[in-house]
Amino acid sequence: MAAYEHLYIITYDIRDPKRWRRVFRLMKGYGEWLQLSVFQCRLSRKRHAELIALLDGIIHHNEDHILIVNIGPAETVKPSVVSLGKDFEVVARQPVIV
Amino acid sequence: MTDNERPPVQLELPLPFPELSGDMPLLPARMINEYQYCPRLAYLEWVQGEWAASADTVEGDHAHRRVDKPSKRFPEADELDDTEKLHGRSITLSSNRLGLIAKLDLIEAEDGIVTPIDYKRGKRPHVARGAYDPERVQLCVQAMVLREHGYVCEEGALYFVQSRERVRVVFDDELEQLTQNAINGLRLIAAGGHIPDPLLDSPKCSGCSLVGICLPDEVNYLRHADLEPRPLAVMRDEALPVYVQAYKAKIGKKGEELEISIDDEKVQTARLVDVSQVVVMGNVYITTPCLQDLMKREIPVSWHSYGGWFVGHTVGTGHKNVELRTAQYKASFDDKTCLAIARNLVRAKIQNSRTLARRNWRSDVPVEPLLDALKNLADKALRATDLPQLLGIEGGAAAQYFAAFDQLIKKPDDSKQLSFDFNTRNRRPPTDPVNALLSFAYAMLTRTWTMNLSAVGLDPYRGFYHQPRYGRPALALDLMEPFRPIIADSTVLQVINNGEVRPTDFVSAAGSVNLNDGGRKRFIAAFERRMSQEITHPLFGYKVDYRRLFEIQARLFGRYLLGELPEYPNFTTR
Ligand code: SF4
Repeated sequence: MAAYEHLYIITYDIRDPKRWRRVFRLMKGYGEWLQLSVFQCRLSRKRHAELIALLDGIIHHNEDHILIVNIGPAETVKPSVVSLGKDFEVVARQPVIV
Repeated sequence: MTDNERPPVQLELPLPFPELSGDMPLLPARMINEYQYCPRLAYLEWVQGEWAASADTVEGDHAHRRVDKPSKRFPEADELDDTEKLHGRSITLSSNRLGLIAKLDLIEAEDGIVTPIDYKRGKRPHVARGAYDPERVQLCVQAMVLREHGYVCEEGALYFVQSRERVRVVFDDELEQLTQNAINGLRLIAAGGHIPDPLLDSPKCSGCSLVGICLPDEVNYLRHADLEPRPLAVMRDEALPVYVQAYKAKIGKKGEELEISIDDEKVQTARLVDVSQVVVMGNVYITTPCLQDLMKREIPVSWHSYGGWFVGHTVGTGHKNVELRTAQYKASFDDKTCLAIARNLVRAKIQNSRTLARRNWRSDVPVEPLLDALKNLADKALRATDLPQLLGIEGGAAAQYFAAFDQLIKKPDDSKQLSFDFNTRNRRPPTDPVNALLSFAYAMLTRTWTMNLSAVGLDPYRGFYHQPRYGRPALALDLMEPFRPIIADSTVLQVINNGEVRPTDFVSAAGSVNLNDGGRKRFIAAFERRMSQEITHPLFGYKVDYRRLFEIQARLFGRYLLGELPEYPNFTTR
C-alpha cells in the first residue's frame, strides 16, 4: 500500500491547566505519549485534518502554541533519534488482543 | 412583428415541477453541488444514504465552523431597509416550488440587495471562472431560493478560507441554466431509482470521498474490461479489531481510548480511532457508556462464547441503504439467481482448496489425483442443476480434501514428540486439536464476514446458497465459502507448521477439545496477520490486503444485486 499515513511529532504549550488536560486527553486518542506535552502520532490525511480541527477548537490562539512536525511516511520512515534514558520506538499499528 | 424578425433562439419551456407533496423530502442544496460534481455521487449519498468522511470533508467542516453559529433573525425581504448594512449567518431557507432546502453560510445585505457567501476550505482554484462549477451551482441554488423568498439577489461570492480570498459569482443566464439542469437531473434520478454510471477514468474519482463505496474503476472494468482499475479504493485508513477474551475482563471508555481492565487493574488501552470492531469472547463486561459510544462511532461489537462460537453482534442504528437490502431480498426469492450465485461460490471454494492443497503438500504420495478430482468437481459445480445436487458436489469435494488434509500437516522429526493428527473433519464439539482449530477459524471467519456485510448495508442473515435458519448468518456463510481454504485452513496450517500453536495448547473436557488462553491468543494473532497480508488482486491487478478485499467483494456483490454487474466476480487465487 502506498505511503498513506505519516508520522508526526506533536508538542504543545498550553497556558491554562484545564485546557492542557483537554488537549492531553484528546492527544491520547490520536497518538502515543512520549513525554510531558510531546506525542508521537501516525495519521492519515483525514485524521490529521480531524486532529487539527479539534485542537483548534480547544486552544486559545493568542496564549497557546502547538507544533505539528511531519516526519515522513509512516511505513518507511526511519527517524534518526538519539534517546537517552528510555527507548524510543516508532508507533506501529497492530490488532489488540487481551 | 413578422415571423422572420424573430430572433433565432429556441425557447425553453420551463417544466415546472409539481409542488412537493406528501413525504417527499426537500433536496439539500449541497446535493446539487454533488450532482454537478458527479451524478452517481449524489445518488449514492441522497438515495442510498452512503456517507464517508475524508480529509477534504473534515477540512470543509472545519472551514465552516465560524459561520455555523446561527445569528439572530435575518429580516424578511420586505423589511430590508434600503441603506442598512446587515449580516446573517447560518440561515436555512427552503422552497417547495424548487423542492430545495439550502443552508446559507453568510448573507450580506446592502441597499436592499442580498449577497450569499459560501465558505470553502483551501485556496482559491486557478480556473477561468474563479471557481469550479459545482460550487458556482450551489451558490446559484442559494440565490434561487432567496429570490423565491422575495429578496433581490444578483451575485454571490465564494470565500476561500485558507487563502482568504473572495471570488465573485455572477448569476448569469448560463449559470442559471446549468443550475436548473442540475436540479432537474437530481430530482429525476432521485425519483427514478436508477443509479447513474460511474465516471470513466476520471480524475474526480481520486478526490471523491465515496470512491471506496462507488468502486468506479472496478465496476467499469467488470462491465467492459478495458482500462485497468486504479487502486483508488484501496487507499484508506486501517482500523483494526480489538479482541478481549481474558476471563472477567472489563471494557470501559476513558477519553478517546478504550480501557481494558481485569479485577480493576488496567491491562491495556486502545485508541478508539484505531478500532474497527470489538470482539468479545466469554465472560467479558462492557460498560454502558462505552457501548453507547461504540454505537455512535459505528464500531460494531461481536459476542462469542468462550469457545469462539459466534453468538451475535451489536451495531448502531444500522445502515441506511434500504435499496440494497430490497434488492438482496428480491434476488434471494428467485431460484435461478440463487443457483447461479451458489454454483460460482462452490466452484471458487473448491478451486481455492485445490490451490491450498497444491501449495502445502508435504507427503510422498502424489498430489495429482486429488488435484484432478477437485478440478473435476469444480467444473461439475458449475453445471449443477439444483441446490441439492450442488450440496452433493460440495460434500464430495470436502470429503476428498479433508481426507488428504493430514498430508498438509508437518510431522515432528522426532517421533516421541507430540504431533497433530487429523483423520476426519468433525465439528460440534470438535474432538481433536486440528478440528478444534478449524472450527475456531471458521467461527472467526463467519464473524468477520457478518460484520463486513452489515457494514456495507447487506443483511447477513438472508442468503442464497445457505438457507436462512434461526440465528444463522446465511449470507456471511455464502460469501465466506471461497475464503475458508485461503484464510481459515491456511491459518490453521500456518500455526501448526510454524509451531506457533502446539499440541499442549489444548484442553479437553467431556469429549470436546478447546484451545487454552495462550494458544487462542496466538491463533487470533495469526488470523489477523493473515487478514493483513497483501495479495495482488487477480482481476484488478493491484495490491490489496484481505481485510480490504473482503469489503470490496461485499460491495461488488451489492453492485451485482443492484443489477450493475452481470455477475459476481468470485475471488480465486492461483
Ligand atoms: S468515485 Fe467517481 S464515479 Fe464514483 S461517485 Fe465518486 S466521482 Fe462519481
